[in-house]
Amino acid sequence: MTSQFSDFLQLLRKRPRILVMAGLAILAVLTAEHLQIGGPSLSRGWENLLIILSEAFPPDFSVLTNRASWANPACNFETDFMCSPAVIGLIQTLEIAFLATLFGALISLPLATMAAHNLSPLWLSTMTRNLLAGLRVLPSLIWALLFVIVVGIGPLAGVLAMTLYTIGYLGKLQYEALEGVGKHPLEAARAMGLSRPVIARYFAIPEASNSLISQILFMFEYNVRHGSVVGLVGAGGIGWYMQYYIAPFKLYDRVLALLIVLYFTVVVIDFISLRIRRRFIESEEIRKPRWRDVFLPQR
Amino acid sequence: MSESKSIPAPSQSEDSSPILTLSGVSIGFPGEPHLLTGIDFEAHAGEVIGLVGVSGIGKTTLLRTLAGLLPHTAGEVEIFGFDDIRSAPRGSIGYIPQRLGLVHHQTVGYNVLMGALPKATRLQTLLSLPSSEMREATRSAIVAVDLEEKMLDPISQLSGGQQRRVAVARSLVQKPRLLLADECLGELDMATSEVVAKQLLHLAREHGTCVILVDHSPVRLKVLCDRVVELRQGTIREDEPDTMRLPMV
Repeated sequence: MTSQFSDFLQLLRKRPRILVMAGLAILAVLTAEHLQIGGPSLSRGWENLLIILSEAFPPDFSVLTNRASWANPACNFETDFMCSPAVIGLIQTLEIAFLATLFGALISLPLATMAAHNLSPLWLSTMTRNLLAGLRVLPSLIWALLFVIVVGIGPLAGVLAMTLYTIGYLGKLQYEALEGVGKHPLEAARAMGLSRPVIARYFAIPEASNSLISQILFMFEYNVRHGSVVGLVGAGGIGWYMQYYIAPFKLYDRVLALLIVLYFTVVVIDFISLRIRRRFIESEEIRKPRWRDVFLPQR
Repeated sequence: MSESKSIPAPSQSEDSSPILTLSGVSIGFPGEPHLLTGIDFEAHAGEVIGLVGVSGIGKTTLLRTLAGLLPHTAGEVEIFGFDDIRSAPRGSIGYIPQRLGLVHHQTVGYNVLMGALPKATRLQTLLSLPSSEMREATRSAIVAVDLEEKMLDPISQLSGGQQRRVAVARSLVQKPRLLLADECLGELDMATSEVVAKQLLHLAREHGTCVILVDHSPVRLKVLCDRVVELRQGTIREDEPDTMRLPMV
């Protein structure tokens, strides 16, 4: 027995990966135990999932044809299609994403130049980085909850929430892009005696422009996807209409229809964004993007 | 090149006081041994000075220090009557780094116009509205370096030689009192080298710019420069530089 145990110890010494795997497995079991995640709750969840799926299929596409008289804000188009929950929700989601990205980018760019080590003194970049990190601490959903309390249910809360999150997230991407700018243009400008804001505006930002534009487009994509999430807490967009069907009525077939509409919209936006971003990505071989690039990793 | 040399040098009697004086200056990076020590050096308006030395001796570091990008670690520097390089008037120092320091995603015109930024008013800078004089100076500088057909081309589409001409054109617009050019003639064909050298001489002779030029070609430096100094054994030497005696490679 003792020799078997010592053999086992030797095996562990030779293959430390086994030890790591065993350690991770024990930690996972202990964590699940602490969170009281177990078989009964999982099987209950499975049953609920089956109920939801059975109620969701087939999807009810009347969300594209029925007029949403309860829309917020009210829809004034004559055709039912234009005032259907899916179309109103999608348009609102796109509008929220557009405004949030625009305002976010306008505010984040000056902040990013202040946060970049190569453009600002240490005290300023440290302060600005902390501010941007603070904005990123809360996810857009929590910001949306806060703004629904502050300004009430509706798209304004969504725009404000997504704008704040965009500033934090895009600001980080932008200051990293600005820090990636080669030192030589900045040194030539510094030798001329130009001020830091002038160097940032005329040298650093144009030099990083391709990355910056690409990041703004990426942020728009991101905001379209998250626009549906913030709607769930009342901040407008297609998520608000999903929540309307889920909470009081449990109309999962209509929710599924909305999700399908949202999915195809996101795919189309991803493709358009990919095409535009390709024009700005630095590459010797710029090939035309294809639909499959939206779904599959690019080689 | 010889034609360029025919531009007469300004007489020293016009203004004999140096625009740049280094006294016992040491240069290096914090926490590291000095790269160069005990540098005594003077430069006058309108002079073209060649700076030579083996690779890694500290030529670029010296230029970056003179450009106010690095602090000197000991000694005194006087520039245009100021005892701190960073106090030098805006636009009085021009620097062409080895990699030229151009904005690659912008056009030739944009990059050359950047030389006018130090002279722009706050309003012009804020609104990106250069004056007609600035635009004209930009056009003239681009014509002077034979790039008028490339005015609207992005820098990334130019050859290395064309990019060097853009960097020099930017300095032509800036018209600095001290121009620090780090190997801006390197790896150029004869014709391009002549265009660039002619413009550097033009700056020196017509505008009184003192040009300090790092280069590795002894022949080019002998033809182009009023004097050549060498960085050797951790300091600056003004006698016949060793590097100048080397056969041309």
